[in-house]
Amino acid sequence: MSFLLKCPNCGERSVDEFRFGGEVVSRPAPGAAESDWSSYFYFRPNAAGVQQEWWNHRYGCGRWFYALRDTTANAVQTTFWPGQPPPSEQP
Amino acid sequence: MPSSNNPGQSRLEPQPGETIDRAAPVEFRFDGRPVRAFRGDTVASALYAGGTRVFSRSFKYHRPRGLLCCAGNCPNCLVTVDGEPNVRACVRPVEPGLRVRSQNAWPSLRLDLLSLLDRLHWLMPVGFYYKALHRPKALWLLARRLIRRVGGLGSIDINAAHHTEFSSRSLHADVAVVGGGPAGMAAALAAAETGAAVTLIDDQPSLGGHLRYTRLQAVNPRQAGNPKDELAAAVANAPNIHALNDATAFGLYQDNLLAVHTPGGLVRVRAKQVVLATGVQETPLLFDNNDLPGIMLTSAARRLASLYGIRPGREAVLAISGNPAATAEAYQTALELLDAGIRITAIVDASDGASGEAAQALRDRGVTILTGHRIARAVGRGRLKAAVAAPVGSTGYADGRRIRCDLLCMSGPLYPMDALLQQMGVSQPGVTLAGCATGVSGATGLDEATRQGRDAGLRAANPAPNPAPLPEPLPAPPAPMPAGKGGRAYVCFCEDVSAHDIAQAIDEGFADVQTLKRYTTVTMGPCQGKMCGRALSAICAARRPLSSAEWETKDRPEVSGGGDLFTTSRPPWRPVPLAVLAGRERMPLKRTPMDRIHRQLGATMVESGPWLRPHNYGSPADECAAVRQRVGIIDVGTLGKLEALGIGAPQLLDRIYTHRFSDLPAGRIRYGLMTSDNGVILDDGTVTRLAADRYFITTTSGNADVIEEWFNQWNAGGDNCAHIVNVTAAYGAVNVAGPKARETLAKLTAIDLSPDKFRYMRSARGEVAGVPSLLLRIGFVGETGWELHFPAEYGEYMWNAIMEAGREFGISPFGLEAQRILRLEKGHVIVGQDTDAVSTPLDVGSEWAVRFDKADFIGRGGLSIAAARPAQQRLVGFIMPPSTAGSRIVPEDGTPVVSGGRPIGRVTSARISPTLGRGFGLAWVPPHLAEEGASIQVLIDHRPVSATVTLQPVYDPQGLRLRS
Repeated sequence: MSFLLKCPNCGERSVDEFRFGGEVVSRPAPGAAESDWSSYFYFRPNAAGVQQEWWNHRYGCGRWFYALRDTTANAVQTTFWPGQPPPSEQP
Repeated sequence: MPSSNNPGQSRLEPQPGETIDRAAPVEFRFDGRPVRAFRGDTVASALYAGGTRVFSRSFKYHRPRGLLCCAGNCPNCLVTVDGEPNVRACVRPVEPGLRVRSQNAWPSLRLDLLSLLDRLHWLMPVGFYYKALHRPKALWLLARRLIRRVGGLGSIDINAAHHTEFSSRSLHADVAVVGGGPAGMAAALAAAETGAAVTLIDDQPSLGGHLRYTRLQAVNPRQAGNPKDELAAAVANAPNIHALNDATAFGLYQDNLLAVHTPGGLVRVRAKQVVLATGVQETPLLFDNNDLPGIMLTSAARRLASLYGIRPGREAVLAISGNPAATAEAYQTALELLDAGIRITAIVDASDGASGEAAQALRDRGVTILTGHRIARAVGRGRLKAAVAAPVGSTGYADGRRIRCDLLCMSGPLYPMDALLQQMGVSQPGVTLAGCATGVSGATGLDEATRQGRDAGLRAANPAPNPAPLPEPLPAPPAPMPAGKGGRAYVCFCEDVSAHDIAQAIDEGFADVQTLKRYTTVTMGPCQGKMCGRALSAICAARRPLSSAEWETKDRPEVSGGGDLFTTSRPPWRPVPLAVLAGRERMPLKRTPMDRIHRQLGATMVESGPWLRPHNYGSPADECAAVRQRVGIIDVGTLGKLEALGIGAPQLLDRIYTHRFSDLPAGRIRYGLMTSDNGVILDDGTVTRLAADRYFITTTSGNADVIEEWFNQWNAGGDNCAHIVNVTAAYGAVNVAGPKARETLAKLTAIDLSPDKFRYMRSARGEVAGVPSLLLRIGFVGETGWELHFPAEYGEYMWNAIMEAGREFGISPFGLEAQRILRLEKGHVIVGQDTDAVSTPLDVGSEWAVRFDKADFIGRGGLSIAAARPAQQRLVGFIMPPSTAGSRIVPEDGTPVVSGGRPIGRVTSARISPTLGRGFGLAWVPPHLAEEGASIQVLIDHRPVSATVTLQPVYDPQGLRLRS
């Protein structure tokens, strides 16, 4: 695994500067059904294709961001800050 | 033939491009005998100059093998150098005193008794071990040991001192050029002229590529100067070209990362653009006994003559059977050899007519050129005596002509060395080919090569969406001659697989190149397909009954699928020692500011996570006693230390911790427990509120970075009103505890430490020994105590000041082991030691730290579910029976708790309690046993021993001493 990943803060860096934080999944609201919590804890779609992921620039600025990555090609389409839309959807 | 002591024997007159220094003799040893060489020789060239022709014994049949490629690609010259096995002698420079040994031969290279196996080769057809030796079962076990003993390569001498410390470094380039030949140098120069930062990677000792060993006339008869030297000088003068010599790019990975093996270690080159100018490679021809010493690639003979000034033979035959470019080079080689005084007994050319200036010049000088012929077999025992040439298309040797020779140069087809491109697939963006690597007929002349190189360099420096030129379709190598009765036309020199073996394997059904490869092991030896890969593909293509498309349409399931005709190219392109890949030990060990003092005190240090910590200072029991009776000091600078800042900090902490911190008054301390969202304990520590918008947080040792990331992940995308700052390295910390702790510290500070003024779980800021400090009245050892945090640079000073102040009270440092015992007596859980990947706060009796009245917090979902269900296990204390007969019973950490012989729990921590004088600890037990006074069975030495459950700390259960 040697692909490049663009930290929104620091720019393009080798993937081994980063920590993978798993898929982005939505957290159930307090009081949600047990089955919702259970899927949130233990199940991931693990898409063969593009998925949204958490990445942390561990050996850089230390910040967390989102990446849209094609898991079949390790091709990162875009990266962006949590709480903001992906760049393609920004006005 | 004995090895000569005269390095000049069989040397030519000095050659213009030779690398040897004839005025600098060097001596080393080969199989115990002294060998004299010149500086600049390789181990192989020095041996060859001294008369050695057999360099190794083959993998399976122990056939004698001589120099074949002289370029570090084939397996024929593998030797052991100073205990390092499988060194390619043809590229290892000589050094004085080297101890070189031959491999895979017994008793000696020249008289290898195991070569008897060669006579028995008919007993060992390809894949014989898949078919035979399986019944009875014991036979295979025996055979396996025998096969491993007689087959193979060099063995590792585990007692030898191996060079294992290799560095690794990273380089970044706009353009990386692989290959230092004319095309590569031209590409580097063109890219550099545009201002790009260029890294030029070449696996030879000096730049030049094939110009290093080919005469200039062969390349460009009009050029007056030496173009190699001119290009190399320009490269050396270009400030933005970083040239790596003796550097093999063995892997090309995603996003243009090149892995490069250099003498100093691994270099990772990340480039925006990559130009592959890796040139071409010759491959052997297929005829019977094509592995006899004396038979080598044309380029190998040229290297010996040009680089080392060695006469490669006395009577030479050149066998030409390739494309026009290879043919031209071969005729040129013949002229050079003739000029060097070597008799050319014949040139055997498979084509119908030999034209061109060089061919005519050779005819004029009386050289016989046999057109329409190819070599059918080689003759000799242990070394080449003659070659038999037969007309193309004839079967067998009947109409062959025997030609005397001691050197047979094989000019097979030239193939692009495109393995790096193949590794990534040919559509890798940002990769360009230049020079001969684009395809054999692409760059036959120097002008064309440099033009292509410049082109590629310019494009790389100024990339446009241009697709890389793909290698041209390659000429198929000649189909092998009929193998004759012996079937000894070797395709695979690494593992002794002949053309006959491959044909047989295809007939057995292994018609797809991928399965064929795995069944025959061709391309799987040390050369990794460099000598054999294309020949394997050619034979496969020629002998497959139908093309893969035809297979599909004809629906023949018995055939193992179509597949490509080429095996898959994977890194490393050349063998790389594992030590190079491993590099240095890269885990840094953290040391606290008081590290030097611990050593001066004679502490036994122990690795604890990333930290090096004092385990004890001689006697953990004495250290415990000092804390309980007097005063002790422990270095707790390893605690993770974070600050939470901002008006959003209270809400952030309420969200992350199970407890509540927004209502914590300034100056107060509260125990903090955090869980993952499913309720499993992640970490614990203390949280001190310094101000309305500022908290000081400690985490368990070694967990600071992970917890910082945990905070930041949950804080990401928020309103930016809370920030986490990791101050672990900024502060040193000690814990001073014991009945005399107050009196000790009172000597150093003006802060009022009296019990009613500085109460338990309170904090204060002020000077201690003149150093600005944060004082936390906490302590996990169960005594009156303070945790002091202060700027790390005062670490040694602070330690010494407290030790001095406490001297009159009998202060003692205590280490991890004493702390462990003292904590355990208080029943404190160590996260990760006493908890595991399913432990929740409810299981360990920390319900009090979980505030379900908060609307939400990380872990609420999981803990709500857990709280609604009966617990499966509880963590409890236990006490072992009193010691009997002087032996104290203490289970080891991890000992099972059993019932009726079945495990029902486990001990997580156990020690001898100084307070009780008995064994005690913490254990996971089923809930019905989690009651005061319950009896559990702990398995010690396979025997159950009774212990008593306690839910109280064994020391000071009411916490009176702690609060005093």
